[in-house]
Amino acid sequence: MQFLISGIVLGVLYCLMSLGVNFIYGIMKVINWAMGEFFMIGAYVQYLLIVFFLGVRYWYIGVFIAALCTFLLGAFVQKILIKPMFVGIIEEKTEYATIVTIAMAILFRNLAILIGGPYIYTPPDYAPPTHLGPLPLSGNNFIAFIGTIVILAFFFYFLKKTWLGKAFQAVSQNRTGVLTAGIDVLKFDMIAFGIGTALAGAGGALLAPVLLVHPLCGVIPTVRGFEIIVIGGLGSIPGVFIAGLSLGIAESLGAAFINPSFIDIYGFGLLMLILLIKPYGLFGKPERSV
Amino acid sequence: MLKGLGLILLLSIAVILPFFLKDYWVYSLTITLYYVVMAVAWNLLGGYTGQFSLSHHTFAVIGSYTSALLIIKTGIPLWMGMVSSWMFNVLISVLLGILCLRMRGIYLALTTWAFAEIVKTYIRMDFEFTGGDRGLKAPLFFKTMDPVPYYYLFLALAVITIIVIAVIMRSRIGYYLRAIRNDEVAAQAMGVNTVRWKVFAFMAASVIASVAGTFYGHFTGLISPVSGEFYEMALIIIFVVIGGMRSQSGPVVGAVSVRFLAEVLKKWPEVRMVILAALVILIMRFFNGGLMEFLRQGYQRVRQRKGAQPVSAYQETDKTNAMLEKK
Amino acid sequence: MNGDGHPLLDIKNLVKDFGGLRAVNNVSLRIREGEIRGLIGPNGSGKTTMINLITGIYKIDHGTIYFSGDRIDGLQPNVIAGKGVMRTFQISRIFRDMTVLENMMVPALTQDQNMAEAKALAEELIEFGLLTRLKNEPAKNLSGGQNMLLQLVRGFMNKKLRLYLLDEPFAGVHQVIKGVILRTIKKMNEEKGITFIVVSHELTTIQYLCHQISVLHRGEIISQGTMEEVANDPQVIDAYLGG
Repeated sequence: MQFLISGIVLGVLYCLMSLGVNFIYGIMKVINWAMGEFFMIGAYVQYLLIVFFLGVRYWYIGVFIAALCTFLLGAFVQKILIKPMFVGIIEEKTEYATIVTIAMAILFRNLAILIGGPYIYTPPDYAPPTHLGPLPLSGNNFIAFIGTIVILAFFFYFLKKTWLGKAFQAVSQNRTGVLTAGIDVLKFDMIAFGIGTALAGAGGALLAPVLLVHPLCGVIPTVRGFEIIVIGGLGSIPGVFIAGLSLGIAESLGAAFINPSFIDIYGFGLLMLILLIKPYGLFGKPERSV
Repeated sequence: MLKGLGLILLLSIAVILPFFLKDYWVYSLTITLYYVVMAVAWNLLGGYTGQFSLSHHTFAVIGSYTSALLIIKTGIPLWMGMVSSWMFNVLISVLLGILCLRMRGIYLALTTWAFAEIVKTYIRMDFEFTGGDRGLKAPLFFKTMDPVPYYYLFLALAVITIIVIAVIMRSRIGYYLRAIRNDEVAAQAMGVNTVRWKVFAFMAASVIASVAGTFYGHFTGLISPVSGEFYEMALIIIFVVIGGMRSQSGPVVGAVSVRFLAEVLKKWPEVRMVILAALVILIMRFFNGGLMEFLRQGYQRVRQRKGAQPVSAYQETDKTNAMLEKK
Repeated sequence: MNGDGHPLLDIKNLVKDFGGLRAVNNVSLRIREGEIRGLIGPNGSGKTTMINLITGIYKIDHGTIYFSGDRIDGLQPNVIAGKGVMRTFQISRIFRDMTVLENMMVPALTQDQNMAEAKALAEELIEFGLLTRLKNEPAKNLSGGQNMLLQLVRGFMNKKLRLYLLDEPFAGVHQVIKGVILRTIKKMNEEKGITFIVVSHELTTIQYLCHQISVLHRGEIISQGTMEEVANDPQVIDAYLGG
């Protein structure tokens, strides 16, 4: 039973990581392979804020600021790198986006090593260990869980209830159609990218004490994030939740019974299997191409 | 004519080079030649056919491990281990190719990426069989540590690969592959058997990678799952992008020049990667055809100054319209 | 008519659903060899879907399609092309990074013609399509009208061509180029006996060009005949005005 609970905790955290990627893809049809690095930047920012400015008590302000920083960085990156894809200059869009975001990931990762050194930084704990029902939970995990739920709730509210959120939904469904509704799609792209990276940054900040802060701390989130978006279907928000939770539970249960190192392989294997049967993911939809 | 002479000159230089260089540089150049093979092969699949595979390096790894493991565990002779490994790779690449048939762009990248991670993780996990993170000692191809014979081996491999890819791209297959990349639906409508040729491209590129990988394993003598890391794939992409995707010489130029740059900046590995990554971003953003495109445009500008007028597309469009008006 | 009296293209009870939407509803159509058939109908009536179904890009849900006595529904698009069915696309689908000449070569090469022969034929057709000066130009540099011309003559590279499906070949095209396209269709039809199905909104052009016209509305054929017959059909008037 406790594995189920820890699985849900894990699953929720995974959801946050892949939500950003999914959101961006829904709007711009672009996969940002550097999402893990925005996560990492969020973690570093949070670490700096807590250790040098705010102190642990105000960790939530740190998360907010970290998210803001990654939002701005993401929007900036989008403006100079991704936007040209849509303004007609670049021909091969998917290829361009893949190469550029992969290069960005490498760039950020190595910059992190250069600037911060190849060290692992340990931020102080957010909270003392507590219990979630019968399950002993470290304070950090607990905070991360609550924090993620809060962020997810905000995000959902934003998407479904606010005008801006509904506009984003419209853009993801019909890019050209919304132009007639007077929406500046390109500007929305930039904001959407920023929101996506902000989610990653917030995740990084929340999970800083759990995964620790180092240049490669974004790698695992990237891996998990991609597993989720494939299983759940690119561009499908509900798919993210179902996939995230199921992956978390599967991993938690699996770790109890199978050699944990093989979990990764099962995750990837599942990913490939699903793509084989449903090339657009479990919940994704093919786009009309002719 | 001039091009042919230039190539012969380059080849001659490459052949006599080892006599003038220290062992370390010969070794380094051999590794560069390995990457030339990998880059040229990936360009066929990812560049010309537009199938952006992220598991190219994986076939090199599968190749080297299969060969070494077969030889070590069963005692068969070296050449048999290698050939068996290649045949195994043909099978896997065809399977993977068929798997990826229905996938477009992003999903292909994700699937091949997942495949690469599966293989790498498996090698690390099953350490009793594969040696895991500690690596696997592979028997050497030439029973010597002298890099010179290996240099010529890889030079031959590189030349053969370049020729093979060039022949393919000049043939009707080249037309099919490029058509597939440009517009798969239209290619089908024009009669191209996209299924067959996509799998072909996959198989060809992957088999070449596995051949290169097997030789590489029996050259360095130590195989490790590190070769299966995404970093290796990123390197190959960097070579091809910087040199120029979709050109015959691009991957070669890219691999050689970037490897050279990497050697120069050896003491600062992170700075190296930052520069390379930034270069890739700049090139994709501004100079999509890489170094070769940069050179080509420069060459055209020189010709222009000397008086040869390039034919402007718009001039021709106007002329056609004028012709139509008269009719 | 074909030698044995069978139509060249025989479509029976064709049905195509997209999720809950029925795009093609029990359509039957027969095209005789040597015909130029117009296919018209309001937007969204299923005209492009019909072409995609015939050429194998979409899978049919129900019904049969016979081409020259052979069943072609369920076959891969490239196999259908190999049997002599070519098409143009409403939004131009040429191979942008390949030159005009290379674009032309593709259909011929897939028919196992050798390179030299294919090149000769390509140059001949390029000349025919008034694109000679642009022969070595990357296709992405072509204007809209030239695009359509290229698409059109590219289909003729298929030596086995018997049925040519044109999807809105006149849309947004310069008047003069439209004339070239019209003359090309007529010439190929009269001299080589090639059958055409032309989808278009331009009713006067269709009237001039086509022997018979089929009208599609909401996935169903609601009328068929000459332009006069069809134009006076109350159902057709209703469809266009009622919408």
